[in-house]
Amino acid sequence: MVSRARDGRDMGPENEPRGERAEHAPAGLERWLAAVARGDRPAFERLYEAVAPKVYGLVLRVVRDRALSEEVAQEVLVEVWRSAARYDPRRGSALAWVMTIAHRRAVDRVRSAQAGSDREERVARMEVHRPYDEVVESVEARLERERLRRCLEGLTPLQRESVTLAYYGGYSYREVAELVRSPLPTVKTRMRDGLIRLRDCLGVER
Amino acid sequence: MRPDPHTLAGAYALDAIDDDLERRRFEQHLAECAECAHELATFAETAARLGQAMAVEPPPGLRANVMAAIGQVRQLPPAVASPGARRRRIGWAPWLAAVAAVAAVVLAVVAVRAQDQVERLEAANRQVAAALAAPDARVATAAAERGGRGTVVISREEGRLVFVAEGLPALPEDRTYQVWQIAPGRIRSAGLVGAEAATMVLAPAPGVSSVGVTVEPAGGSPQPTGTPLLLVEVPAT
Repeated sequence: MVSRARDGRDMGPENEPRGERAEHAPAGLERWLAAVARGDRPAFERLYEAVAPKVYGLVLRVVRDRALSEEVAQEVLVEVWRSAARYDPRRGSALAWVMTIAHRRAVDRVRSAQAGSDREERVARMEVHRPYDEVVESVEARLERERLRRCLEGLTPLQRESVTLAYYGGYSYREVAELVRSPLPTVKTRMRDGLIRLRDCLGVER
Repeated sequence: MRPDPHTLAGAYALDAIDDDLERRRFEQHLAECAECAHELATFAETAARLGQAMAVEPPPGLRANVMAAIGQVRQLPPAVASPGARRRRIGWAPWLAAVAAVAAVVLAVVAVRAQDQVERLEAANRQVAAALAAPDARVATAAAERGGRGTVVISREEGRLVFVAEGLPALPEDRTYQVWQIAPGRIRSAGLVGAEAATMVLAPAPGVSSVGVTVEPAGGSPQPTGTPLLLVEVPAT
């Protein structure tokens, strides 16, 4: 499972030729998810193999605490089982659907855990601790990761920080604005145009 | 402040909007803007790339725990258009009685249906009366998306926030309504309510700006898992 998580073979349909995925017979994850919606446990086990390392890795990145991350990852995976029938392949890939659930849960957990004073402290701490550096470190020789790294480097510093502080750090745009000392409208705009540039660089289907 | 909602698409895709009301407004905009919904879908794919780059092996116990847990979780049915006619036929006597709890005070109308309900509501009624009698009492009301409405009475001096929900549609057994006090950046559960009317007397959360109701799995959730179907803005004093 480890090797599969690392080597990208399980990256699923999103690595297939663009423009063919959603409209045709669903491949890989999408097919399994459709079976999961009908209560198919073996299909869920295959889905688990494919997505659990990504779900756990993302949750851990945002939440940081290992025990808590395991708990959140479990909630996410159970939620995938529970609401599989609500996944609509016309609206995006199965992986994006799963990762959206994972990120939302992780962020909810971080936000509900933090009280006002705690939040200020966390913001202060973040000033010397920028997630982007860690992204760079954990991007190994893997092709996909290398591509992501290059694409992140292609962003302006403010775009990159706005996107990564929000996504990996779990910060709200208000908090991000405070961290990067920029006006709110600027940060909102940088998040959007940063994602547009990243999307186009990664060749995400439009 | 009502900025161009398009610019929020990035923040929304990154789960970086912590103001519930603002997020809800954006979602309303999304429902009307196919182009925005499409852009958001491409952002979700992009964000997923950022996420999967973080993949690490999960702890060994996770798999067994997940497999054990799903055995006890009922799966949601697919989303299908519901036959709207069937809603709200059942259980409207109870909510009428609770509407009366507030109406009795606000409008001096007495509309009592059953003795036990009266007794149950009397205590709440006194609290509603106390909140309303406060010099700084303010009242706000809002309609719910799928029928029903909510009323908030707040007295900051008395430290009381009364929330009354009425006429919400019945839910399947494995779901419940959950009430939330929403302050910027912070959402706190105020408890669970059924489809029948409910009156809650709460201490206002610091900075509370609205009271929302979401549909949650039975037993409730630590934080809302969906968008509120009812949102009442708490009046500023």
